Amino acid sequence: MTQEHHRKIIHIDMDAFFAAVEQRDCPAYRNRPIIVGGSPDARGVVATCSYEARRYGIHSAMPSARAYQLCPDAIFIKPRFDAYKEASVQIRKIFADYSELVEPLSLDEAYLDVSNASVLQGSATLIAKAVKEKIKQDVGLIASAGVSYNKFLAKLASDMDKPDGFYLITPQQGPEFAEKLSVSKFHGIGKVTAGKMQALGIKTGKDLRRLSLLSLQQHFGKSAAHYYHICRGIDHRPVNGNRTTKSVGVETTFQQDITSRQEILGYLQELLEKALQRAADKQLVAYTLTVKIKYHNFIQITRSRTLPYMITKADELLEELIKNTDIGKSSVRLLGITLSSLENKQTGIRFQQTDLFRDY
Amino acid sequence: MKFIINREEILTPLQQIVSVIEKRQTMPILSNVLIVIEDDQLILTGTDLEIQIIAKIDIKLATPGSITVPARKFLDICRLLPNGAEIKFEQHDDKVKILSNRSRFSLSCLPADNYPEFSESELENHFFINAGKLKKALDKTVFCMANQDVRYYLNGLLLNISNSKIKLVASDGHRLSIYEDSLDQGTGYEARIIFPRKAVLELSRLLDDADAELKIEFSSNNIRIFIKNLIFSAKLVDSKYPDFGKVFQQEFFNPIHIQKLVLKDALTRVAILSNEKFKGVTLDITPDSLRISTHNPEHDEAEEELIIEYAGEPLSIAFNAQYLLDAVANLDSELAVLTIASNSSSCFIDEPTECVYKFIVMPMRL
Repeated sequence: MTQEHHRKIIHIDMDAFFAAVEQRDCPAYRNRPIIVGGSPDARGVVATCSYEARRYGIHSAMPSARAYQLCPDAIFIKPRFDAYKEASVQIRKIFADYSELVEPLSLDEAYLDVSNASVLQGSATLIAKAVKEKIKQDVGLIASAGVSYNKFLAKLASDMDKPDGFYLITPQQGPEFAEKLSVSKFHGIGKVTAGKMQALGIKTGKDLRRLSLLSLQQHFGKSAAHYYHICRGIDHRPVNGNRTTKSVGVETTFQQDITSRQEILGYLQELLEKALQRAADKQLVAYTLTVKIKYHNFIQITRSRTLPYMITKADELLEELIKNTDIGKSSVRLLGITLSSLENKQTGIRFQQTDLFRDY
Repeated sequence: MKFIINREEILTPLQQIVSVIEKRQTMPILSNVLIVIEDDQLILTGTDLEIQIIAKIDIKLATPGSITVPARKFLDICRLLPNGAEIKFEQHDDKVKILSNRSRFSLSCLPADNYPEFSESELENHFFINAGKLKKALDKTVFCMANQDVRYYLNGLLLNISNSKIKLVASDGHRLSIYEDSLDQGTGYEARIIFPRKAVLELSRLLDDADAELKIEFSSNNIRIFIKNLIFSAKLVDSKYPDFGKVFQQEFFNPIHIQKLVLKDALTRVAILSNEKFKGVTLDITPDSLRISTHNPEHDEAEEELIIEYAGEPLSIAFNAQYLLDAVANLDSELAVLTIASNSSSCFIDEPTECVYKFIVMPMRL
């Protein structure tokens, strides 16, 4: 394996991606607070907002109604996923020109491993700047780039100088950088773990470094080794060029809570069909079905079942999954369907088990 | 209530009862075992409301009464006391004292009045069967039962009594096992019931004495089985078992005889490189050879060739290797006989001489 300090990783993150696409395509939106997401009078949330909107304290995942309170002048726009997808494809093509090893994280974010690149003297800094420039020229959008010797630090770096940022964390600076960082910014440390660490008096990477691997294991179990390493600026995760889809999920929040069992089953059926279509688009078939239910009081439950045969229009399965829930009694604000245990469609069809009591 | 009993007398019945008690309970009293002393008998009862086991033990040194105590704790105490220990059990209000030699335990208990009644309808039918025979019938079928299938009637076992004939059928749709035998006495009736999965597995564990004669009583909703000092009761699956008769009404290719162990070893080796999830292997059958082959998404390949005698048309058919292995492993004979339907829609596996069971494995579509 390549030595840690020999790797050169770039993290590219598009700035206010959805909002930037909207501002690019519609001059009237430029220099104005733009919010892409759900409508403020329904139960939508902010998907992305422009930097002009961020000045009002608006951020993604905030309820649109709250965003409206903060900035009544903001322009609310429904997402146009096709446009974002198109931009994303263009951007990924640019990545491919500079590195053979690209791991897209979402439509607007990716890691590039340029350890073995020969272009631009193999300089990660020059490549990152060239990628940014090319995105600006060809796609008309702004990106921030972070460069470092692993994924963890590269991602932190891209966030340092946003928007239109460039930031480099050298192998010499890495450990010190991680030390100064608040643990809540660490990869893999969410709200819950950060709170747990806070309670233990761990606020920064430096605090975390004081704990031995053993005592980390006692507190954090499986994740201990990862925390132990990242607070020292070490992250061996490779850039994974062929990340396979692990699950396909769709969900919907209702404008008004619903109670009727029949209605809920109808929505679940619709969501299932949508999810099956998405899987089919990726040439995948699924064997596990998970139903997610969020009740009016925000209590969320999931019910899951793995079948020995591929999931099709599993209406009786949906009924089975919601059997031991409060559906019909307690009203529901959100429903979701996730398909997992995915297999390539060709393989799935090749090994289609015939069934004595079922006709295909 | 008070009694003295030897550890060896209470341990086995207690273990049998605790096994039906679910670890997680909605009603606290269901994690308890009901203990009753009446008519010089110690009567232990455990239930999960779907299955109930009652054990009756003759007892001399006892004063009547009834109480419920935490089943697992009581079992663990009895289990961990030394072999042959004398156990003294005394109730004091809402506590039970368990004394043995120099060990003393005090357990919190719940009153017997609150112990749920196991509701049973009138059991109009009955028959007698030898425990060894029933155990064999279960062993040959249970492995084909479905587990958590949405077709809930498959998560169980079909029991069909037709006068003096008994038939057991289990299937998860992918394979089916059928066991047919005769009873010693005619029953004069025809009945079909579905025994739920958990009850089948629990019952099977209780049939360790092959010589015991069982009395089985049942209706369409309930079954009750008398096994020596035990009474096993279960609720039945209220549904119709699907029709599997069609699979027998087909034309078949000539049967293929193979040494069971040779087939088992070859299948096990080839399966190493099969797709992990589907375990698919292809059987190419010609007059003198059976070729078993597979490949997986990593492009690994495996192939085994067995010499056979087969007097039919060459054919190619794919199966889940695990299903074939399960069936073959359950044959008692040295030779396995594979008979494939002429439209390649199913494969029968049984013994060369007439036997009471038959396994059917459905193929994978190629």
